[in-house]
Amino acid sequence: MSLYQTDSGGNYEYVTARVRARKAALFDDDDYRKLVRMGTSGIARFMEETEYESEMNELGARHSGVDLVEYALARNLAKHFDDLLRWADGRLYDYVARYLRKFDAWNVKTVLRGLYSDASREDIEDDLVRAGEFSESLLDQLAGSDSVEAAVEVLDSTRYGDALADALRDYEETGTLVPLENAVDRTFYEDLLSDLPAESTRATELYQEFLHAEIDFRNLRNALRLARSGADMDPSEYYIDGGRLFDESEIRQLVGNTDQLVEHIRTSVYGEELEAALETLEDAESLIEFEHALHRAELEYAGRLSNKYPLSICPVLSYILYKEREVENIRAIARGREAGLEPEEIEEELVIL
Amino acid sequence: MAEDVKPTRKNLMSIEDRIELSERGHDTLEKKRDGLIMEFMDILDQAQDVREELEDSYEHAQRSIDLARALEGDVAVRGAAAALKEHPELTTQSKNIMGVVVPQIESSKVKKDLDERGYGVLGTSARIDEAADAYEDLIANIILAAEVETAMKKLLEEIETTKRRVNALEFKLLPELHENKEYIEQKLEEQEREEIFRMKKIKDMMEEKEAEWEEETEEAVEDPLAADD
Repeated sequence: MSLYQTDSGGNYEYVTARVRARKAALFDDDDYRKLVRMGTSGIARFMEETEYESEMNELGARHSGVDLVEYALARNLAKHFDDLLRWADGRLYDYVARYLRKFDAWNVKTVLRGLYSDASREDIEDDLVRAGEFSESLLDQLAGSDSVEAAVEVLDSTRYGDALADALRDYEETGTLVPLENAVDRTFYEDLLSDLPAESTRATELYQEFLHAEIDFRNLRNALRLARSGADMDPSEYYIDGGRLFDESEIRQLVGNTDQLVEHIRTSVYGEELEAALETLEDAESLIEFEHALHRAELEYAGRLSNKYPLSICPVLSYILYKEREVENIRAIARGREAGLEPEEIEEELVIL
Repeated sequence: MAEDVKPTRKNLMSIEDRIELSERGHDTLEKKRDGLIMEFMDILDQAQDVREELEDSYEHAQRSIDLARALEGDVAVRGAAAALKEHPELTTQSKNIMGVVVPQIESSKVKKDLDERGYGVLGTSARIDEAADAYEDLIANIILAAEVETAMKKLLEEIETTKRRVNALEFKLLPELHENKEYIEQKLEEQEREEIFRMKKIKDMMEEKEAEWEEETEEAVEDPLAADD
């Protein structure tokens, strides 16, 4: 517990100050420009002289090349997010933990996929990102399960237990992991906004505003993916409740008509932020550029909220997004260089603010 | 070898029959060869297109997976791939092109819908979808290339065999049969000439003998007293 707890149910001053310092230490444009022009071994050497030094050294004996970079990035991400949970208290801890549970969801999916494809326990453990709320022992127990059913049983006492138990029947019928994975993701998103304090404070409102945007952007991405795939799928099955952009009936109607969908976004609260992204969507055949534009809009939105409300949850959540983006950018550079992509091509794929 | 053949009229007739049959076979095989070559040229064009598409789709798939690994991470891509259970199924049938049996490959479950790929839609991105899409296209092209290139290979083998048969008939069997026929004909003509010559000889001898006999008879008639004396 932190010594800086405030009456409002969270030590915002302390955590936001620490977070601001961490955010300032993130890689900047110059670092990316340098990295993009390096070979994979150069990138690994560069990483050894930065924030990622200890992870690179710890994992150096087990992994090499770009795999080493990727595992070091994941471990560093986990360390930083773990720090956030350590610093935060009270209501702030709850808000941060809710958001970081996406790594619990990631770990559950990783274990399920590993067990499903008969991967070894060691491989599964390597792929876990220990940044969520799950304890080490629970993760070890999960990775040590010998079947998908056993893993679901291990998760019985967690927040994913009920949803997974329900989805297990579908899994047994269909033989695919889709119901289980969707159940995990849906539980994560539904828990984000559930059981918030009845008494609405500015902190809760900001938290909600931020998460509405997160859910809306996720719904938007999925709606466009469904629309592009042309598959006969019920969009409401992939709809996450809690956003402001669509309700279930709207999404069902809009998935069938991309023009209407775009128009709907244009006239929504995000219209201004997503204007450039929507133009990209109309020009490009692929959704990738739109996803980039969406990421950029999401980061800008988070940045703006954190500047506007410096002593709130917003700077913390914004830092989480920026840190994730840094990890994704470095990984993109390292993997891109490994695959022989030109620096210009890689730069196009980076989301830098 | 023509000398091995007995120069009899029966053999001549049998060789003539064989020549007729071989010439008919030669014509048929030539037509088959030309037909096969035409089919082959059609398939060759198709195979070239399929090859080009295969190379393009391979490059596209490779690039998609490189980018997916770069942006989503190797772990996420491996995880999404591991979630796939239903693998493509192939059934082979055969079809006949001018006597050549070529495979016809029917595939199912190659192109999958978003909900059939095994990974959850809520927690993944379009990058994974595009990589999966690109690899599904690649597999479809590999299957098509396998079908077309196997057909091409089989047709090529058949063309080679037919060409060898046509050549064997044209440059070996038919010339030999013609040579044998000519040899027998010559021999038979020779035998005929000898026969005529022999007959002439016999005729001459007979005529000579007859003349002698007539001469003796005449002498006896002219001088009967001398005989009595």
